[in-house]
Amino acid sequence: MASLRPGEANLGTTIMAVEFDGGVVVGADSRTTTGAYIANRVTDKLTKVHDLIYCCRSGSAADTQAIADVVKYHLELYAAQHNEPPTVKVAASLFQEICYQNKNNLSAGIIVAGWDARDGASVYEIPLGGSIHRQTFAIGGSGSTYIYGYCDKVFRDGMTKEQCVEFVKNSVSLAMTRDGSSGGVVRLAVITKDNVERIFVPGDMLPEQYLG
Amino acid sequence: MAPLVEPSAGFKFDNVKRNQLLGDKGYKLPTATKTGTTIVGLIFKDGLVLGADTRATAGPIVADKNCEKIHYLAPNMYCCGAGTAADTEFTTNMISSQLALHSLNTGREPRVVTAMTMLKQHLFKYHGHIGAALVLGGYDSTGPHLFTVYPHGSTDKLPYVTMGSGSLAAMSVFESRWRPGMSRDEGVEMVKEAIEAGIFNDLGSGSNVDVCVITKGNVEYLRNYARPNERVEKEQSYRFRKGVTEFYAPRAARRGQDSAEMDTSA
Amino acid sequence: MMDYASMQFAPTEVPVEHHSHGGWEPYVDNGGTSLAIAGKDFVIVAADARQSDGYSINSRYDPKAFVLSNQTVIATTGYAADAKRLVEVMEQNAQTYFHKHDRAMGTTAMAQLMSNTLYYKRFFPYYVFPILAGLDKEGNGAVFSYDPVGNMERVVYLACGSASALVQPFLDNQVGGANQRGHEGGFLDRATARKIAIDAFTSATERDIHTGDWLDLFTIDRTGIHREKRELKHD
Repeated sequence: MASLRPGEANLGTTIMAVEFDGGVVVGADSRTTTGAYIANRVTDKLTKVHDLIYCCRSGSAADTQAIADVVKYHLELYAAQHNEPPTVKVAASLFQEICYQNKNNLSAGIIVAGWDARDGASVYEIPLGGSIHRQTFAIGGSGSTYIYGYCDKVFRDGMTKEQCVEFVKNSVSLAMTRDGSSGGVVRLAVITKDNVERIFVPGDMLPEQYLG
Repeated sequence: MAPLVEPSAGFKFDNVKRNQLLGDKGYKLPTATKTGTTIVGLIFKDGLVLGADTRATAGPIVADKNCEKIHYLAPNMYCCGAGTAADTEFTTNMISSQLALHSLNTGREPRVVTAMTMLKQHLFKYHGHIGAALVLGGYDSTGPHLFTVYPHGSTDKLPYVTMGSGSLAAMSVFESRWRPGMSRDEGVEMVKEAIEAGIFNDLGSGSNVDVCVITKGNVEYLRNYARPNERVEKEQSYRFRKGVTEFYAPRAARRGQDSAEMDTSA
Repeated sequence: MMDYASMQFAPTEVPVEHHSHGGWEPYVDNGGTSLAIAGKDFVIVAADARQSDGYSINSRYDPKAFVLSNQTVIATTGYAADAKRLVEVMEQNAQTYFHKHDRAMGTTAMAQLMSNTLYYKRFFPYYVFPILAGLDKEGNGAVFSYDPVGNMERVVYLACGSASALVQPFLDNQVGGANQRGHEGGFLDRATARKIAIDAFTSATERDIHTGDWLDLFTIDRTGIHREKRELKHD
């Protein structure tokens, strides 16, 4: 698998997605680094690839942006040709195919999440090698290692939309304070049947937690 | 085997293997001129300001004391370049030409996102081997836009940006003083200060400040907006007296002499 | 659209990115330039005061030329920490000599001491390119050149450091008379030597990124050591 090249913009990141009944919540920190320097402190790592399908990007900024652009193009074409929106599964499969076929040249860890009429809310995780895993919730990026225990403990089946928003907000915030490559603000998106609601949590208004 | 017919366009990779072999044997590749640079951009109330220093370096030596790093892309768009000088020059030239054709085809003024997408797709294709780090700015039908483009093809959209070896010095100015809705003059002054922070604190940057102000339907390219590093006068003259240079006369004129005196003052 | 087929031809092995901080190395080049010009009864020593590391300036005024006695000056370039230590050792030895013999060490003795001091660390050298200059026993200008492990040579003029490749040819031409047909030879007068030293530094500052900020200029003659501090460009 490709590692990060010198000088390359890195999304050393915390990303997350959770299913709830009727939709998904996706979240991410906002830090982009080149070495020790923060190249962007308000990055939006939640990228829209179709009306109700988002991806969370981690790894090389260049690679994940390029992949998202390609998938976005294919989904637009798909919608026009089939006269119906693509499912999240189709989107995730496109990501997976690109990540797998080019695994030697890419460093990209992607979470795809959204809502469609066939499967409802769904979350897919595509880690570095290009495999694909459907999950009820997924975490990714360098910061995720700090919150596996927290997420496994706190997550419950059947959480409401509001509970999921809090869950993502708390988890990402905790990862941000422990992972040097994550930080800034928390960006969220709540995707439901009808629309996408974007939520912005400034860096000085994060949930309260022990800070040493 | 190399193809017999030269390709009509694009890069040639014929020498890649040969150069790799030479590299393994310890031969060094020629060093390209780098613009170890400070380039910046910011959005103000009515548009955006781009800025650049004017030093080009070849290792520790100053190769050009007054080079131009703000490149033309389209009538409503300019692009600051850092990194390998040749790559920034050729990349911006090529995108500029494609934009010109694009706007001829569409009959519209080109959009900044179009240029940004063309740049990132071109750079991504070459995996960072084209060492162009860019600050792209322009004003189109959707308003002012400012982007950074990295050599590997990633982009960021921000209200104030810096790039190059002096980017940290310049960013310290923006992070402490930038605010939304500044006037044109405030913007130009802040860009000047950011570039000067790079000029004086980063050894890769130096000499003068170039500025470019882009607003709706108008561009002001202010070459050498500030010149804070004028060369001082020498203590004495170094004009050589006439006939000081030793030389050998052409064979026909030599007449048996190894060196001859000749009047070179003409 | 991205041409994914072309990716197959890309290099498969790429270096891993490392954080720039944290790694320790025994030697750093802190840049800077120094020169000395000997006259018949004087010597001029000049050194810029910028101390840098890569593209960063550590200090705009960190002198690298030091007075060792009332007739000897040492100018250093290379690794600033080693230079500081070398000068300390030289000062200590000069002081000890003074107390043992009740007189200051002469310039030529000091020159040999420096050679010995450098060679003493033959297998972990001071990464320094020093110049030692002063008046010899006869009162003539004397300049001594060294390599980091103590090889010594007496010369008439010398440039060292990051802009030495720019300054030395200038001195060869203007002081040594190289490529000047009909050059008279002999020593320069004091005013001309001083002007050449200053012009060497204003020019080096133009083209060498590690040279600049301030210039320390010493003139040593039988009346003692005269010091000047001049401003250079800061970019």
